[in-house]
Amino acid sequence: MSLLQRDRDIIVSNEYVDHFDFDEVESFIRGASKNLFISHAFKNNKGKTLVQPRGGFPTYDKVFALYKEFKAANVDVLPLTIDSNTRLNDYAMAKKMLALSEENDVNMLNGYPLVNQGYRTTRKMMVHYDTPVSLRHGTPDARLLIEMALASGIFEIEGGPLTYLLPYSKNFPLDKAFLYWKYVERVCALYSTLNEPINRESFGPLSATLQPPAIVIVIQIIEMLLSLEEGVKSFSVSFSQTGSVMQDIVTANVLKKLSRHYAKQFGYGDAQIHLVYHQWMGAFPRNKNRSDSLITTATVIAAMVEADKIITKTRDEAFGIPTKEANAQAVDCVQYTLAMLRGVPKISDEAEEENLTLQVNEILEALFNDSADTLWRKAFNAIKAGYIEIPFSPHIINANEVITVRDDEGSIRIYNKGKLPLSERSFAFDRDKIRIPEGHSVVDKIIHDIGVML
Amino acid sequence: MMKVVTGVVGNDIHVVANRLIDISLQERGFEVFNLGVNTYLEEFIDAVIETDAKVLLISSLNGEAEGWCRDLSLLKSQYELEGVVFMIGGNLSVGEDNPDVIIPKFKRYGFDLVFHQSDLGIGLDTLEAYLKEHV
Repeated sequence: MSLLQRDRDIIVSNEYVDHFDFDEVESFIRGASKNLFISHAFKNNKGKTLVQPRGGFPTYDKVFALYKEFKAANVDVLPLTIDSNTRLNDYAMAKKMLALSEENDVNMLNGYPLVNQGYRTTRKMMVHYDTPVSLRHGTPDARLLIEMALASGIFEIEGGPLTYLLPYSKNFPLDKAFLYWKYVERVCALYSTLNEPINRESFGPLSATLQPPAIVIVIQIIEMLLSLEEGVKSFSVSFSQTGSVMQDIVTANVLKKLSRHYAKQFGYGDAQIHLVYHQWMGAFPRNKNRSDSLITTATVIAAMVEADKIITKTRDEAFGIPTKEANAQAVDCVQYTLAMLRGVPKISDEAEEENLTLQVNEILEALFNDSADTLWRKAFNAIKAGYIEIPFSPHIINANEVITVRDDEGSIRIYNKGKLPLSERSFAFDRDKIRIPEGHSVVDKIIHDIGVML
Repeated sequence: MMKVVTGVVGNDIHVVANRLIDISLQERGFEVFNLGVNTYLEEFIDAVIETDAKVLLISSLNGEAEGWCRDLSLLKSQYELEGVVFMIGGNLSVGEDNPDVIIPKFKRYGFDLVFHQSDLGIGLDTLEAYLKEHV
């Protein structure tokens, strides 16, 4: 028995799991419908941006009803968002809250408790809709969760050791997160040999607050390489709408170019790399007409950057979790807008692309030059040293020195580079574009720039 | 440089305001020890003693501060914290939003300066004026 299989036996021997049958799961995946694999949809949807909303409810029936609504709106990819107790591996609490949700017809969980629901039940829904499903969570230790997801027929797994840790946790140990995600990558790689590949997706929005594109791209590339080096063959890099159309287009071009470049350089040229675009992840306006406009603008940008998938928001974003009707309406509007936007001419800004490429390469070079023996240790050291940090992370390992603000055109620029290993030249390109208005402090500017869409 | 311990009390993950307080204090010339989000009152007191800080600035956004801060006078009586300025600010209650009720309540718990839903700049201006007068 392999070491991995020994680990897996231990992981699924959990009091909240009702006998995990590895052989049965393997034969299910081997014979599963191609329509369940987003990697298959990417291959056969050349040129069409797939549309995926967000959503999840505690009970089976409510998720079933949500999916029905989405299918009626012509959805391409269904989401399964997991509740916060499961994300923290607290299956006891999730079980209690699921029971209360079922008894009283109220949502006592902010998502679907997949471990408690079990794969035998969940798989029925996935097979019924015969549509790719994406697992959305935020779990540092997702080992049991992804076993359940894959066994259920959910063949896209979002997250990673950095993108699901730095924006979400205060003190979950980063080294453990790397190792737990290594398990995830290995299981995804193993199942990828049975049928179509399992797709892994990184979470580029990070803390969704003034994230500089260079850091987003660096983190996307690290998570991509960590995944590919374990044998994953289909991977999506992602980022969210920055608030500047120019910056979105430049970010998309550089992210596409450099992710493929580094995949090839590390010997994974055979892997499929996709681009995912998140509609605005910051604070939404309370005026729903303006939300509609924001969502439509994001859709236009997704078409301009030829995103392989767009993840949608709703006009009710400022008011909490949307109803299934509002959520489906957003899917319908995005599909309608995308249909108008086929064959959009390509535009870019060469100087911006060149500088962003330089910044990303400078940070990655510092990371690759670390003397540690493996990529995850190099990344760990880089974060500990502050060579990589994200603005507005609650995590204790994050250096919290980098300060970003917007320039006059709304692009996010690095004001204080902290310990980011940027050259004077690539830093000055950003810094020189910043203008703090007379009589305003940097903090005033940051507050203004965070709320730019309100 | 005057030392300040800051952080967000209780099970409160609102990191943006915490970071802005940190940057503002640094801009004003303080040496900042930021304990970050999800911090317990006991951890704040430990940090004040450890760093010999002159100011403890607690923030809270989710409205649950009261339950986490009731024991402040008790803790103050157990340790030598003479001369330390205790300040709290943010959104200090869930339902009640009358500052005439909330501010005296937190002062009774042992805070010298209390700011409910007020501007960060005004709060820190007041802190600096208070320090000039008292320290």
